[in-house]
Order: sequence, then structure tokens, then C-alpha cells
Amino acid sequence: MTTPLLEIEGISKRFGGLAALSDVTAHVARGEIVGLIGPNGAGKTTLFSALVGLHRPNAGTIRLNGKNLVGLKPHKVAAAGMVKTFQNIALFLDSTVLDNVLIGGLMRHSVEDARELARRCLDRVGIGAIADKFAHNLSFPERARVEVARALCTEPQILLLDEAMAALNPVEMDEFLKLLRDLRGEGLTLVVVEHHMRAIMSLCERIIVLNFGQVIATGTPQQVSRDPDVVRAYLGRSAA
Amino acid sequence: MKLGLSKRQVALIALALAVAIVLPFAFDARGYTIRILCLGLLFAAMAQAWNIVGGLANQMSLGHAAFFGIGAYTSTLLLIHFGISPWLGLIASGVLGGVAAFAISLPTMRLRGHYFALATLAFGEVMRVIGNSWSDLTGGPVGISVPFAKPSFVMFQFADTRTYYWLMLAAFIVVTAVFVAIKHSRTGYRLQAIKENADAAEVIGVDTTRTKIIAAIVSGALTACLGTFYAQFQYFFDPDTVFGVASVSIRVAMIAIVGGIGTAAGPLLGALFVIPLEEAANQVFSAQVAGLAQLVFGTLLIIVILVEPRGFIVLWQRLVARRKPGGPS
Repeated sequence: MTTPLLEIEGISKRFGGLAALSDVTAHVARGEIVGLIGPNGAGKTTLFSALVGLHRPNAGTIRLNGKNLVGLKPHKVAAAGMVKTFQNIALFLDSTVLDNVLIGGLMRHSVEDARELARRCLDRVGIGAIADKFAHNLSFPERARVEVARALCTEPQILLLDEAMAALNPVEMDEFLKLLRDLRGEGLTLVVVEHHMRAIMSLCERIIVLNFGQVIATGTPQQVSRDPDVVRAYLGRSAA
Repeated sequence: MKLGLSKRQVALIALALAVAIVLPFAFDARGYTIRILCLGLLFAAMAQAWNIVGGLANQMSLGHAAFFGIGAYTSTLLLIHFGISPWLGLIASGVLGGVAAFAISLPTMRLRGHYFALATLAFGEVMRVIGNSWSDLTGGPVGISVPFAKPSFVMFQFADTRTYYWLMLAAFIVVTAVFVAIKHSRTGYRLQAIKENADAAEVIGVDTTRTKIIAAIVSGALTACLGTFYAQFQYFFDPDTVFGVASVSIRVAMIAIVGGIGTAAGPLLGALFVIPLEEAANQVFSAQVAGLAQLVFGTLLIIVILVEPRGFIVLWQRLVARRKPGGPS
């Protein structure tokens, strides 16, 4: 078996006395779509932040293509090929859509080349027509797509999506899921945090379940949805 | 580099430049007005240099007097002790100003908002105290004089104030060109991203620390060079003037904010408003009650900020929009 693209080994993160992540170990193979689920406060966003270098873990290693990323700043992690989108969507609101996206391309390109790449990324996610709109004028579905386009413009190998579909209605969500499947078809590896179970169950072939900062289950959607620990985590002890 | 200027804007800039060049002929070459214009242009240039950090990166520095004073003292001391031409002194000033900006950036660049403002304010004050205390080097609180030389370009001394005026104008144009070039470069785009959301910028590959330090070094170096201009223009200065919070740091930030922060034209509009207004307030009210001039000046500034916090540029755009019904609001 080839080495996984992303290897997370024994990651722990404490905030004061609170253990947000305890000994988290997980792997993501190249070309996979992996779901990351868990109740509120389980540590999903903290894990993403640790992966991209916004939080430095207290212990453990994170390897991308065998290279340890712990201690690197986020821009170095981005250069290594891993980026994340933000849970609350963190666009540059006073800039145009095109200027939002081209920032991602500046890491490897001149302004002009980054602008061309940004146009291609916007076309790729289906919003080429709104390139000159200001970000603060966008609808939620558009904002979610700009976040994805901006991340794509860094030319990542692996993309971490933190509840990118949170504000979407069912129709918009189906369109978004199609986009993610297409991106995966083009060779991108995806890790998706999502609360909508229907979305994540249909999208991912493998799911990692976090609860109180620990991995409590890993497996196919069918396996984890039948796992007693997972059921207990979501529905409470008496349900199991 | 695409600046996105319309033909009308280009024509407007060309016209403003032509007027600026011939303007001194309208005034007495040894008079008072021309000196105010010189100071106005100098402060416009300083506000533009500040604009690189304060406007593009949105880091509200209140310590730019540190770089200004370093520049004024560096070239003057080199001239006094070694007879070095102030033009070479200007280069030394720029280098030292850039080094000082780098040194102060390392601990302060992680700070945001008020904390950055306070840290830089403290840095400027430290430099003022050092300037006052280290009398062997600076001459201390009594100040320092630029030795008179026979007027010549090499010695940066001129009998005709109009020559200073054109030099100040050139300085403003150079600093503005640097500002515009940075704004449209990769660094400019990165600064814009940092200003709006530093974490998001960092995650998509922007080295936020490095980008902010580059902006600080350029801004500090330019401000120090302008300190040399000030020394050669005034011939005499003391630590409280060139390292002063009110006389330099706050004034420079205020000019950029009143004019239109982050815009290329803002510092000029701000300086042409603030500097003459301050002088006029002094002339009219100083003879009557101590402090009245400052009170009137401050009140007028408060009114301006209340009417349009985003500065004259936006105020102008609003007026233009009102004149043209159906135009952008």
C-alpha cells in the first residue's frame, strides 16, 4: 500500500485545562473524499485549524506526502499543498470576487498570472459571471463557492472544507455536492466537515467520527451510522 | 501595471501637476505662503509614506515620528561631523529608517488595532526621550542647527524657497509613485487581504508577517528620507519637534485619515487642508488666548471627521454622485 497523502498521528491540543483534541490519529489517501463528523464541540474545527497551522498541537505529527507540517505557519502549509475554507466564510468583503480569489494564486504566480488562474478557478466552480461583483454583495451559495475557488487558486493537493454547505438549501446543496464530486474526479483530495448527514453520507466513502476530541469511529457511512458509540454520541446514552 | 485610471482622471492629474509646478510663481519667493506650501507638500509626502502601513495594511502607526527624527538627525550629524552632503545623508537616513522600522516591526507586527497603535506610540516616545537625553550625540533639548553653506544643489541649501518647493513636490511624487506601485503589486494585494482578514490570508498562502514587515520597512525608510528634507528646509530642529507625537506622529496619521486613508490622493488633500488650517488658526487666534488656536483647529477637524469619516475623497465622490442623478450612490 502506498503511503497516505495525509497522516495524522497522535495529535493533541489543549486550551488551558480543556483537551480539545486527544491523541487523534487518522489517514487520508490521495483522491479520497473523507467526511469528518461529530457533535458540536467535538473538535472538528480545531483539528482543521491544527492541520493548516493556525493552532500548534501540543503533541503529535501531521505529515503531508511524508513531510512533517507541525510548527509550520499556515502559509507554509498552503505552499505544501493543504488549505482549508472557513466555517463562517472568511471572504475579503471589500474586494471583488476576482481579487478575493487571485490572492490564493499569488503564492506561486505574478499578479497577472494569478488573475488568469483566478478566472479559471471561478469558471471551475461555476461563478465566472460574478467575478467583478464585490464580495459583500454576494448570496450565501455564491460566497461558499468563492471560498472554494479561492482555495483552489492555491493549487492544493488536499482541500479541507469546514461546513461550506451550512447556509445552503437542499437544491443548492445538491449542486454543491456535484461540484465537490467533480473536483475529486479531477484528482483533488477532500476532507469535509458537515452537519447535514444526508449530504455527508452521500458524498463520502469514508467517515471519521470525533467526540470530545477523540476519534470514536472510522468507516463507511453504513458502518459509522450503525456504530453504537456514534449513536450514543449523537443521541445520548439512553438511545444506545 | 494597470492602474485603472480613466482618461478624465489622467487629464486631471496632468492638470494638477502643471498647476503645482507653476504655482510658486504666484507667490513671493521669500514669503510666508510658499513656506506653508512647502510644509504642506512635505507632510503630504509623509502622510503618503504612512499610508503604506496605515492605509494599505491598516496598521495604525502612531510612531512615525521615530523614523522622521532618525532621518533628520542622521543627515544633519553626518553633515556636521563629516561634511557629508545631505543627499548622501538622505541615503543613510533611509537605510537607518528602514532598519529601525524592521527592528520595531518584529515585536509589534503580531499586534492588531489599538495595541499596535499604542506600541508604536511608545516607540516614538522612547526615541524622543533618547533624543533629549543623549545630548553628546543630538545636542539634547536645545536642538541642533544645520550648518549654513553656500547655496548649492550638492549641499541641499538654496536661497530661493521655490527650489525647496519643487524638491518637496518631487518628494511627494516619488513617495506617491512608490505607494501606487506597492498598491498594485503582489505585496499590495496581500496587504489588502491581510487588512480584511489576516487568518484567511495566511491560510491561502500569504506570509502575513513578512508582508507587513516589507510595508513597514518601505514606509519607515521613506519617512526617514523626508526627515532629511525637513532638516534641510528648517535648518534648526529639536527632539520635541522631529520626534513629537502631536507635531509628527498624530499629524501625519490624521492628514492621511482626513484626506482619505488608503487612497493615493488622500494624503495630498489632507495636507493641503490640515497644514494651512493649522497656520490660519494660529495667526488668527494665537494673539488672543493661549491654546485657542489649537481648540479651533481641533474642533474643525472633529467636524470634518463627523461629516465623512472616510475622508475628503469619499466626501468628494458623494458630492459628485449627488450632482449626477442616477450615478453611483
